[in-house]
Formats: sequence, C-alpha cells, structure tokens
Amino acid sequence: MARYIMTVDLRRCIGCQTCTASCRHANATPPGVQWRKVLDIESGEFPDVRRSFVPVGCMHCADPPCMHVCPSTATYQRDDGIVGIDYDICIGCGYCAVACPYQARYIVHRREFAYGDKPNQQEEARFDPKRMSVAMKCTFCSDRVDYAKEHGLTPGVDPEVTPACVNSCIAGVLAFGDREDPNSNVSQLLAENQFFRMHEELGTDPGMYYIFDKK
Amino acid sequence: MSDIKIPPGRVTPWHQTNWDWRAAGNFIGGGTGTGLLFFATLAAGSVDNYRIMALVALACIGVGLTCVWAEIGRPFRAINVYFHPQTSWMTREAIVAAPLFLCALAAVWFGGGLFVGTAALLGVLFLYCQGRILHAAKGIPAWREPKIVSLILATGFVEGAGLATMLAALLPGAGPRWLAAVLLGALILRRLAWTVYFKALEKSGLPKKAMEVLRPFGAKFEMLGQLAPEILIVIGIFYGAVLPGLTFVAGLVALAAGWWLKYTIVARAAYNQGYALPSLPVRGQGEVMPGVKPGWTK
Amino acid sequence: MSAATAKSVRKVPQYCYQCVAGPDLLTVKVVDGVATEVEPNFAACGVHPGAGKCCVKAYGIIQKTYNPNRVLQPMKRSNPKKGRHEDPGFEPIGWDEAFEIVANKLNEVRAKGLVDEVGYPRVAASFGGGGTPTYYMGTFPAFLSAWGPVDFSFGSGQGVKCYHSEHLYGELWHRAFTVAADTPSCEYMLSFGANLEASSGVVGAWRHGQARARGLKRVQLEPHNSVTGAASAEWVPIKPKTDPAFLYGLIHVMLHEQPRTRLDVEFLRGHTGSPYLIGPNGFYLRDPATRKPLLWDLKRNAPAPFDAADAEPALEGRFTLDAIEVGADGEEWLHRNVEAETAFSRLIAHMQPYTPEWADKLCDIRPGTVRRIANEYLDHARIGETVEIEGVTLPFRPVAIALGKTVTNGWGGYECCWARTLIACLVGGLEVPGGTLGTTVRLNRPATSRQASVKMGEDGFMFYPMNPTGKDSWRKDPAVRNAHSTLVPLSANSPWSTALGPTHLAWMFRKESPKNWPKVSAPDVWFCYRTNPSISFWDTQAIVERVAEFPFIVAFAYTRDETNHMADVLLPECTDIESTQLLRVGGTKFMEQFWDHEGYVLRQPAVAPQGQSRDFTDIATELASRTGLLTEYNEAINRGAAGVVLSNHHWDFKLDPQKKHDAATIWDHACRAASAELTDGKETDGLDWYKEKGLRTRPISRLTWYLFPELKKQGIRFEMPFQERLFRIGIELGRRLHENGIDWWDTQLTEYQSLPPCKDFPGVWEKDAAAHGTLADYPFWLVTSRSMQYAWGSNVGIQLMDEVGGNLRGHGGVVINTQRARELGIAEGDLVEVRSYLKSTQGPAILRQGIRPDTLLMIGQFDHWVTPYAKDMKAPSMNGLVPMNLALTDATGSAADLVRVGVKKLEGVA
Repeated sequence: MARYIMTVDLRRCIGCQTCTASCRHANATPPGVQWRKVLDIESGEFPDVRRSFVPVGCMHCADPPCMHVCPSTATYQRDDGIVGIDYDICIGCGYCAVACPYQARYIVHRREFAYGDKPNQQEEARFDPKRMSVAMKCTFCSDRVDYAKEHGLTPGVDPEVTPACVNSCIAGVLAFGDREDPNSNVSQLLAENQFFRMHEELGTDPGMYYIFDKK
Repeated sequence: MSDIKIPPGRVTPWHQTNWDWRAAGNFIGGGTGTGLLFFATLAAGSVDNYRIMALVALACIGVGLTCVWAEIGRPFRAINVYFHPQTSWMTREAIVAAPLFLCALAAVWFGGGLFVGTAALLGVLFLYCQGRILHAAKGIPAWREPKIVSLILATGFVEGAGLATMLAALLPGAGPRWLAAVLLGALILRRLAWTVYFKALEKSGLPKKAMEVLRPFGAKFEMLGQLAPEILIVIGIFYGAVLPGLTFVAGLVALAAGWWLKYTIVARAAYNQGYALPSLPVRGQGEVMPGVKPGWTK
Repeated sequence: MSAATAKSVRKVPQYCYQCVAGPDLLTVKVVDGVATEVEPNFAACGVHPGAGKCCVKAYGIIQKTYNPNRVLQPMKRSNPKKGRHEDPGFEPIGWDEAFEIVANKLNEVRAKGLVDEVGYPRVAASFGGGGTPTYYMGTFPAFLSAWGPVDFSFGSGQGVKCYHSEHLYGELWHRAFTVAADTPSCEYMLSFGANLEASSGVVGAWRHGQARARGLKRVQLEPHNSVTGAASAEWVPIKPKTDPAFLYGLIHVMLHEQPRTRLDVEFLRGHTGSPYLIGPNGFYLRDPATRKPLLWDLKRNAPAPFDAADAEPALEGRFTLDAIEVGADGEEWLHRNVEAETAFSRLIAHMQPYTPEWADKLCDIRPGTVRRIANEYLDHARIGETVEIEGVTLPFRPVAIALGKTVTNGWGGYECCWARTLIACLVGGLEVPGGTLGTTVRLNRPATSRQASVKMGEDGFMFYPMNPTGKDSWRKDPAVRNAHSTLVPLSANSPWSTALGPTHLAWMFRKESPKNWPKVSAPDVWFCYRTNPSISFWDTQAIVERVAEFPFIVAFAYTRDETNHMADVLLPECTDIESTQLLRVGGTKFMEQFWDHEGYVLRQPAVAPQGQSRDFTDIATELASRTGLLTEYNEAINRGAAGVVLSNHHWDFKLDPQKKHDAATIWDHACRAASAELTDGKETDGLDWYKEKGLRTRPISRLTWYLFPELKKQGIRFEMPFQERLFRIGIELGRRLHENGIDWWDTQLTEYQSLPPCKDFPGVWEKDAAAHGTLADYPFWLVTSRSMQYAWGSNVGIQLMDEVGGNLRGHGGVVINTQRARELGIAEGDLVEVRSYLKSTQGPAILRQGIRPDTLLMIGQFDHWVTPYAKDMKAPSMNGLVPMNLALTDATGSAADLVRVGVKKLEGVA
C-alpha cells in the first residue's frame, strides 16, 4: 500500500512563501489560516548566525496523535497514509489541535475577509460553511490524489494530481510521492540525501522528511 | 473558544488557543466532583449527608462538563463525542460520565448500597480519564508528561477531601475526626506528585515560557497550596477544639490550590511544542551545523 | 459553490510582470466567471527557465482584482489646491467626460507647441517598476510615440533604488544592463549585497536552488543576513559601502600574492586591453599613422597595433617606443623614445596598496577573510579548462561575482563594477560558461539581442553610444529635465536613456536650479502609471511638494495612492487579469532570465472588468483619436510600438491607420504577426489561438547566454582594466561645464578615472550627516532590502502579501542587532524612532542576531498615507529619511539607498 509523504529540501528553501500563498488559494482558507507556511528560524550569535527556512504543516503522521485523541472519529487516516478530517462529524472540541505537536490545526468560528467585513467575489464563491467551527488542516490535497487513482496519474509527477504547494514551489524544495515505492521521486531523494523528521522523538512517525545534506 | 490563529512568523512555542478557562473548568469540576464523590463515602456520616455531598459532587462534575460543551465549536453534535472509545480518552471520559451520574443518582436515591461504592469508583475512573486526556495531548509539553496523570489524580483527591472536610464542618454528624488526617495524606501525595511531575519536566525540557509560568507558580504553590493547609491541619489536630475552623480553612485552601494548579497547567502553562531542527541545512557547501530548538529550556 | 458543482471551470493562461524579475507564467482558474486560484503554467514547464512557475506576488493578483478599494470609475479633481494635506475631492465622472478633459488639455498643449519655452517637452510621463508597467499599458507606448517628445525625466526610484552604475558601466563593458552568474554551472560565487533570493524571481530561485543542491558555494557579503545570506554557504557582515575595499583586496591577493599562472594570462593578453601601452599623460600610446593603440609584440620585440594578427602581446613590462598620445578634445602628444608600461603593469602598481589586511580592517570583518576568499575564488576558477556548448568550445570558469543595490549605485558603484568586471577578466571568467554574465541590453540597440548590439568601436573595444562631450557636439541645453545627455555621457542616447539618467535632478532642480543652469519647468501634462514617487523615492516629502506643483496630472489608477492624490484625472484601467497584451519573452533578460527559447506570451481577460475599468489599449486608442493622432498611433503600432512589428517583406498584418481598432483587433494583428515571426511565416494564428495556448516559443541557441564568442568572432577586446575612454570624456565634460560656469558637478567629475582608486566611500555619507550635527547623533547606518513578497511599494495594499510576508522576520519594523538593542534598552516590539537629519520614522523594533551592530534595516517601502490597507500598516520606511543632494550623487547620477541615523526608544506600544 502506498504511503504518501512530502520531502522538504532545506538546502533550497528561501522562505518566499509561494507555497503558503498557493495553499491559501487551492484550499480557499481564510486570512491568517495557513495550512502550509514557511518558518524563518535564526540561530547563533552575531557574527556566526544562520538563518533557516522551514516549510511546515500537517506531517500526516503514521501514528497521528490527533487521530487517537479525536473523540468523534472525524480525524481519520487513509490507507495511503493521508490524515483527513470529516467536517460533518467533527465537534470542534480542539483536542486534536492540542494533541498535534506540529501546530498544524486551525479552528475558525467567524468568517473573516481580506478587506473589511464583506467577502470579495472569490471569498464568497469559495465559502464552505462546513468548515466553520471544526478543525481543519492540510490534506496533502487528497482530492488530487484520489483523482490520480481514478485517472491513472502519479501524484508528485503529474501536476494536476500533486499538492498545490509542491506545484508552486519555485526553488524545487518540495516533492511529494509514495514512500513505499522505491522508485518514486521521494524515495530516490531520500536514498541520495541525509534527512530528519521533526520531533521524531515524540513517536509520531511524521510524513514530512527534511533533507539537509547529501549522503 | 477563541479562533485558532497561529501568529505569523512565530517559531518559538506560543500558548495554545484552543482550550481556555472552560477547559480548565472541566478539570477543576471533574477533579473536585469525583474526589468528593470518593470521600463522601467516608466523610458523610449519614445518608442525608451523603446525599448532599454526592449532589454537590455531581454538580461540580456537571458544571465541568457544561464548560466543555460550551467550548466546543459544534455543540449540537456533542453526541459524536462517543464515537471513538478505541483510543480517545475524551470519549472514554464521556462514556464513564453517564454511568457515573446514573450510579451517583441511584446512590442518592437509594441512600446507599452498592451504588455508593460504584459511583466512587467510577468517579476515580473519570478522574483517571481526565489525567489521560492531558497526557494524550502530545502537542503541549506541560500536559503530555506522563507524571501528569498521578498529579491529576492526587489533586482530585485533595480537592475532594478538602471539599469533604469543608462540608463535614457544615453538616451535622459528618466528618470523622480522621478526615483531616486523610486530607493531610492526600496533600502529601499531591506534594509528591507535583515534585515528581515538575522534576520530570525539568529533565525533559519545556518551552521557556511554560517554565516561566510553572517555576514561580510551583514555589508559591508549594508554600500556599501545600505547606499552608498542611500546617493548618497539623495545628487543627492539636488545637482543633480551640480553633474549630482550622480544618475548614485547610480544606478550603487545599481545594483552592488544586483549582489554581489546574488552571495554571491548563490555561497558563499550555505552551505548544513549537518547531525544531535537529540539523541545519548545508547551503551549497560546508559542514552540517548543530540544530536548533527555539524557545526551549533544553 | 465548489469546483465540483460549478457550471464552468477554465484555466486561463497569463503572465505576471509586476516586477523586473518577470515574466512569470501562470494560469488563473476561473469558476463560473470568478477567478479563484493562481497556478503555475504547467504547459510552459519545458520552455520557461523557472519550470513555468510563478512567484508569490502573482498569487496576489486575485485579491488585486477583487480589491474593494479599487478606483472603478473615472474621477476628476474638484479641489484645485494640491498637497499632502489637501483633500483632492475626487468626483466620479463618465469615461466620455474624462476623455474630454484629458484630450482638451492635450490638444491645448499641442497647440502651444510640443516643447515649452525652456525647451523641455510639455508632456511628461513616469512609469515605475523598472519599466515593467510597459507590460501592462497595452498600446499606450504607441500613443506616446505618436505624440512626439515626452519627458521621462521624473524618476520614481531610478538611481537610488536600482543597480544604476551597473546599468551604465555594465553595458559599456559587456552589454550587461544587469549582471548574473552563469548559475547552472557556477561553482563559487561572491554576492555583494545582491539579494538574489528576493529579487531574481522565479528563475533565479529555481536556478540557485538547483545550484545549491549541486554544491555551488555562495558567499554573501552584506551588512545584514538577508534571505540570500540565509541561503548562502557563508555570510560576511561587511560594513556598508566598503564593498570596493573588499573587492580591491581580492584583486591585490590575485595580483600580488599569487603566481600569474593562477590567472588566465591568455585571456588577459588576447581579449582585454591589458597589454595596451599607456603614455605619460595617461592615454594609450598609439601608432602615429593609424592612431591605433599599441601593445608590445614579444615576437618582434617591437610595438604593434592592438589588432596585429600574429603579435604576441606582452602582458607586463616597461618598453621604450615612439608613439602619439591622444587626449581630450583631440589634444595630441608625439613621443620619441618614451618609456611606457602596459595597462596591466599599471594595474599591478595601482592595486599594490590594497592589501587584504587593509581591506579586512576597513570592511570591519574577521581578519583573514579577504585573503581566504580570494584564494577560494582562484581555487574554483579552473583556469585553462573548456566546455563544449552546441559544438563550440568555450572557456569554463565557474566563478562569478554579483553586486546588489547600494553596492552598484551611488559613490563606490563605479569602483565595485570595475573591480567585479576586472576580477572576472583576471580569471578569464567574463561572459563565458560558469562565469559572470550580462543579462540584457537597454541602452544599446537592438534591445532584443546582446550579440547583435556588439559592434567594433574605436581602439578594439565595443562601440558605445556615449553622449557627446566634444566642444561642438556637447548638448549644452538639456533636452529633458534630468539632463542625462548633458551631464552623464554614459547614459547614452537610447529611448531608455532618460529613465536611466540622474532622474532625481529633475525633481531637485524643479525647486531650485543650480548656478548657470536653465530653469526646470513643470510639465504641462504628466502621465503616471504604476508609479508612486511620493513614497518610493528618496526625500519623499520633497517629492510630494514637487508633484503638487504639477498643473495637470493624469493618473491611471488602480487604487488611490500618494501620487495620484495630486492628480487631476484618475482613469481606472483594467488590471492584470482583465485586459489583453502580447509580450515578447525568452532570450536573455533582466534578473537571471536566461532562456533556451524565445517567443510571445499573452495576458488576457480571465474575468470581466470590475466596475467601469477599461482596457489600457482602448484608452490609448481613444486618446489618440481625440487628439487627432489616430493615424500616427496606428502606424506606431504597425512599426512595433506594442511589442511586435506587424509586417515585413513576407507577411503583412498592419492595421488600417485611419481606423479606430478595438483592443481585441489590435492584439489579434499582433498575435498573427508574432506567429508569423516565430514560424518564418508558416503560421498566422491570432488572438484566439494565444488565448487557448497562452504562449508560442521556438528554441534558441544557448550560446546567446555568452557574449565572449561574439567578441572573439569580431576580434573585440573587453575594455579592461584601463579606462582611457572614461578618463578622456571626464576631462572633456569638465571643460564643457567649466566653460559654461558650472562647477557644481566637479565632485562627480572625479569619478572619471582610468584606474579608479579606492576612496573613503562611507565617509561620503558620514560627512553629509556630520554637516547637519555631529556624527555621534547618527551612529547607525540605515539600509533597506528587497523582499520577494513585495514589488517595491506597489502591492502593499494586497492583504495576502501582507499576511505571508509576516512569516518572515523583518517586515514592518526596524531590524536591529540583538546585543546592540539590549545595550540601548530596546526590547523586541518596542516602538522606536529612527531619525536622519532630514526626518524620522517609527516602527516596532525587531531584534536579530543577523545584522551588524552599527546597522539598522527597514525592509521594503511602506510609507503610505493614502493607499488603502497599506496606510494602516504603520510600518516604517527609510524613503523619507534619505537626503537628496548633489553631495550624495555620483557621476552616473545615482545615489545609494543609505543614510546615517540615530535610534531611540519611544514610550508606548508599537
């Protein structure tokens, strides 16, 4: 069975936030709700300073604490490893949000708009009341992965079935694919490079792999 | 519950915004109520007193659960909380809550029997669920520490014993003389649980801001929330006849300190995990540099 | 409504050219007539050097379109008084009335004469963004062409916010309007403040991302750790304006500490002016008969003309010969048995004092840095190696140097550009694979091909269209208000020259002309579009006052802003995804745009125009019609004023000059001509084809990336290291100015040096500040930095940009070194005031380790006081703090975005 993961080549990332913006578009999230975003982390002391840019979001953990704690089964894990939320079941208790060590979940109770108190045409057209007061997060654009299955396409290779953030990335930082397929793009990248996963010590078996150097 | 808005540009842990005072209210009400339900079996002294104590306990638990209901985003779907007993301690807490209420009400109605003990045990189970709820919240380092379960249990017992002591002072015929000693014992257990919990956090590391809350809190808590009631009880044991209100005050202080403890842990020290890089990326050429964990004590 | 239930879902191909790093290719998803998503244009993945991606700014286009703050119908001013504190009282009017007002004014002006009594064009126009508004203004350039003389003097950022010296000197030396590394094969790169990760767009990000993963080592030298520093292998926190010292230190190490074998001696001898012999008066020694510069032929042990076919030039040495020397204004010296050195020997002596220890100290960096980096550079240079590209063998020198803003403009810019180009020559790495490359040409023609712009000039170097400085040919009376042809010979005389002149002089001299200088009149009519000098220039409060003096301003307006606040008429044009335009793409262009294809890409209406906004082409056509210029306008389009020549010997898609054509018709003709051009007439697909496909390209040779083969083919040398030509025109210009009683340009004349010495460049700014108090009052350098999320100040009203920009530390505040802030009692988020002798600005303190203790940083341009949304951001901006004066103006007419300031904590919360 497939396990979809994302690789993040930290050597390349420049913090441009194109993935952040594209995710906002693709998923029609309201202002301030960034399922994908890039952190700007400074370390060291002048003049020995390093600055790293780190894309984060839902890690689609193999052992997702958010799913375990969810009292309503709204948070689920698909056979292909993608962790999703059923907006029709979620009670918006927020337990998943405090269980997630990646700060990946959002709950929005009031509609907010880019400008003032009225939606623009785009915001009005894409408003989904199901998403109000329930937990939401990155889906790895699972609708595209589903489309791939139906149409014989390969996520991570064919852009129409690849997550928006990966498609948008202008520095070749993000890649998406099947970890179980040794020939997939992500498996190849991980075979050739050194990587870590964030907060791996918490036992979540996260699905975002951060590449930091070649092997 | 406030909107979950992650502050832009934040890389150090920030305080979670999902569970506020209402969540703390559930832990406060639940702990105190179940603790009281437990000690009511020992402290009531009469069926009528038990009824009063049990009803007060249920009220506490009920208020706590109401707080949670008021906090969830989709309150009219609250029934869905029962869907995930396999792994969710919140579901399990909800599941225990129903027989707990039924048993306790039956105990009140029938004035004793098997229901009293069952209700007390279900209360303990409910309290245990609460401890496990916090422990399972992996995103909050101050909660996920395994020692929090014993702390939640200990403080629940203290709060229950404290409230029982207070009620015993008000209800004729209630409260055996050794109740104060039980409260003292619970306090000692809570002191132990807190110490073990805090030492574990120091050892594992914590978001600095959470530590900035818990360390000064701990110093005050140990003096005001622990030592003060302990001294009052000891004095009360020797001079209770002269100063009859001492154990009442000790119970009140022990109870209040428990609430203070839970409010602090749930609503003030609940800084999230933040982010970390075990290694810094190599930018073109160079050595791999040691990683960074912004905003952590270690 | 979701896409799954929608009736109609389309993906409409577009381009984004909101900043000079474009064009980016994208598609806009339109669901039931509403634009919902921006995506890369995946269909262009194979032809676009950035894989068909678009940068973060393009994702702002949808909010830009639906922004409720847009001006959506024409407006006229009701308050005749103009100024920052005057309410313009804009009143909505219909298009007919708006056209009537503008056309009447234009007709009135035309009746008076195209130039005013001083001799300046009565109509002026300003377009911001490095010329990118052209890619959104449809056929308006054709209208301006039909009109006649138009003054583009009034800058809105040029000089102070561009790579100004690089534009001018770069084009002189290697047809490099901007300069980039050959990133795909470069292995070692020095970047002096070139903020590539913010400013080189998708293509730059893509190429550098690949290069880093491959192992390119880039060292970023910059006072703060920018996003580019972050993405580099090493950050060197160099003191502002000491970049020339660092570069000179590098040259010293290469010339004085390493054997010649580590340099590309063959390149220096054969392809530069290094072997030319220099006479005692500082000019080339020339053959008395042919007047050709001489070199010393080792084969014959005798002088030989530079182009002697079989000569073996001496790179170094002193030789005795007979020759003439030609100085300024034709002055000549005949020498007998004169002893002369080669230019290279002169260079060696010239660079002797600039030791790495001297440079380390001046740059305030760790001792040993300059020497180490010089040696690393040489270690990576691969002297002697070659690479084959499309069957042609070329030198392979995978080392490059990039320079950024504030390094390439203002005092020191010349020295930096000279040193950078020289270092490339020392290792033979100029315009060869892996090395330092020019991107495009603007001052030389044709603008479509660097190679085609290469022509043999005098003395074996490339021809350059200098403005004349001869006694009879110098233009005493400026043709335009910034006087570029009079004061800056290097600004050349092309259509872009005015905009690349000393554009702040037009504003400065409007207030008060210097001694013996003609009055600078206000233009009768000023058009402005996608430009906002009221916030984007230096000394912006003075700019606001000057703009307010303009009698009639026509602003093509997206929202209200600080410049159109003074406008008389606001005309709302259809914005990015509401209108049509065809754009030439490919080849090489600004900011790392190196393509393997060329062609055309279409921008088209994805959604219906909002409100009454109109396609710019239709606006231009209507203005042409109402001013009686329709024929000239159509003919200008036919000639290519809209980007495509509509006819040649093989095809003819000319517009009927007598008729008014709508935008669709005009662009259909352009599309047909473009199709024919790209297929040698085989295809003639029109607008509908481009609407569906988005773009049409054809492959081109990668050799177009490199200029060296063309120079080699024509036997032309790079004009390095000795700048005889600049030395001469400097003398001539000085004479002309002095003959006319002008001495206020004397300091600028000192830049015309054949081998420029390194001066105290930081001292220029320190002295300027000290003249208005003491330097102790202004202990910090204030610098700025580009950000990828913002196209300068022009998209700050887009909420999405504000939001995602917030993820990066530095936006919206004053970045200060953490330790220094603590010493000053400043904590994160404290409100601080930053003050130059001119003005102050306020913002929250942002504490960072990655900035020098003597430097403050304000990213972007946020000084808006009218622009909706932006005016509420309350972010600090340095633009009002930077003094505009001649002391800070260099010989090219530029200054650096730099000022000395003091900082203090204010009470209250930011």
